[in-house]
Amino acid sequence: MIKDIAYLNLIQTGPGTKIRDLGRTGLAQFGVPQSGPGDLEAFLWNNHLLKNSPGDAQMEIQQPGLKLQFEQACQICISGASSTIKLNGKNIACNGVIEIQEGDLLEIGKFLRGSLIYLGIRGGFQTQEILGSRTQLNGITDAASITKGAKIPFFTNLSDPIKTTYSHPKWDNSYLEKEEIRVYPGPEWYLLDPTAQKMLLSRDFHISNMKNTMAIQLEELVSNQISDILTAPVYPGTIQLTSGGKLLVLQQDAQVTGGYPRVLQIDEKDLRVIAQKAPGQKIRFQLVSED
Amino acid sequence: MVELTPSVFQIGPQYTEIKWSEQVSDSLLIKRLSLEKSLQNELGNEINDLRVAYQSIVVKWKNQFPEDQFQKLIKTTSAQTATLSDTVWKIPVCYGGQFGKDLLNLASEKKMSEEEIVQLHSQTNYRIFFYGFLPGFMYLSGLDPILSTPRKSIPDRSILSGSVAIGGDQTGVYPLESPGGWHIIGRSPIPFFTPSSIPPVWGKAGDLIQFTPISESEYERLKRNPKLPEQL
Repeated sequence: MIKDIAYLNLIQTGPGTKIRDLGRTGLAQFGVPQSGPGDLEAFLWNNHLLKNSPGDAQMEIQQPGLKLQFEQACQICISGASSTIKLNGKNIACNGVIEIQEGDLLEIGKFLRGSLIYLGIRGGFQTQEILGSRTQLNGITDAASITKGAKIPFFTNLSDPIKTTYSHPKWDNSYLEKEEIRVYPGPEWYLLDPTAQKMLLSRDFHISNMKNTMAIQLEELVSNQISDILTAPVYPGTIQLTSGGKLLVLQQDAQVTGGYPRVLQIDEKDLRVIAQKAPGQKIRFQLVSED
Repeated sequence: MVELTPSVFQIGPQYTEIKWSEQVSDSLLIKRLSLEKSLQNELGNEINDLRVAYQSIVVKWKNQFPEDQFQKLIKTTSAQTATLSDTVWKIPVCYGGQFGKDLLNLASEKKMSEEEIVQLHSQTNYRIFFYGFLPGFMYLSGLDPILSTPRKSIPDRSILSGSVAIGGDQTGVYPLESPGGWHIIGRSPIPFFTPSSIPPVWGKAGDLIQFTPISESEYERLKRNPKLPEQL
């Protein structure tokens, strides 16, 4: 296969735009976070449509106001949150593979539903690979995110372009509206008093402004009589209860151990539901009954 | 000798926590390392990820929880299949002054001299239990109880990489610049996490650490020519 390197120029971006792939599994023993995509299914969908390998690197966009220019032709896919997308100033729909010509200008404006967008490219972005992954993270990669002026390498002139069709591939984005998050009891769940347990499973919780790719802090407090625990293993989807009664929902870039009680664990299938929520939106926890 | 089997807690269908309720000690670490080893050997193909801390292991299974094999393994793993290494890593530290901004305060709180604190901190061998918190952050056991100090109520916004600190009854080194609530007593010029290397750290769980006081000029010299710590 012929592969030439070309670049995408980032003309403008909000904070938190990152290159991501499936992350760094198996490196928790060195304290290295997982750092996969917050919305794994949306990420895999792009790579599937582009006939890429499942782990080919994409761009994760968290804020409106992205503007970029492709120096060469390529094929891209956009998934995750829905937003207004313009190609050379014209609104386009973003289901399926989008053909990009040399010099094309792509803009991502207002987010309509959801808060994480994935921009996949045929062949994957070819940025720095550290510890088996291109995911950008403070302390691991040279840059913790992509900033204005960055040049992102990709392959152009791929000898086997995929045929784009006018059929619209099926992608169900009803999960962006979902408010129920399926959970399981965490190791410290049974130390909570029944009132706190009941509250966790019955009321609405709102996403606070303290939301990043390490953790989402929820607005509402839960009274907490459990003292902090000896540092213990945590995973993305672990919900911690701090001594002050704050709930922290750990995300993909979270540390691998923590000292707060682990009251709940989110079902892996619903990790994307909470990751796609914006500050102010509400969720409810639903305990999965195990047979 | 009676060996208590650890308790097993199923966190949904995908995660299993194995936990010992005993105090943190070398014998607990041996049990944990032994079980880690047999999990990797016997059920490695079923494991997606494995994370450890002081008293527990949490396994993330690839597919379904292999309950029968797992139960058998828990019952049959002898606590003594792993041994602790006798590696001692010598970590140079420049204590106090600009490198350890909280040392003076800590000394006056404890009604001790800075030298006494440094002596207590550097005369012990610390055991690496696991890595967590930050990439390359070692959780160590062995801090002299006299040096135990509650964490700061307001964490510092930025602690420089290499900072050697005390928080609660633990001591550790910040491998990367980070916010943090521990008391900074010194700084080491050597790297603790090198992302471009595999593995990115030089030590492993079970190894020992010894902090060795160095002068400012020695710190500057080592900072210019960073190298991995020496083994005793």
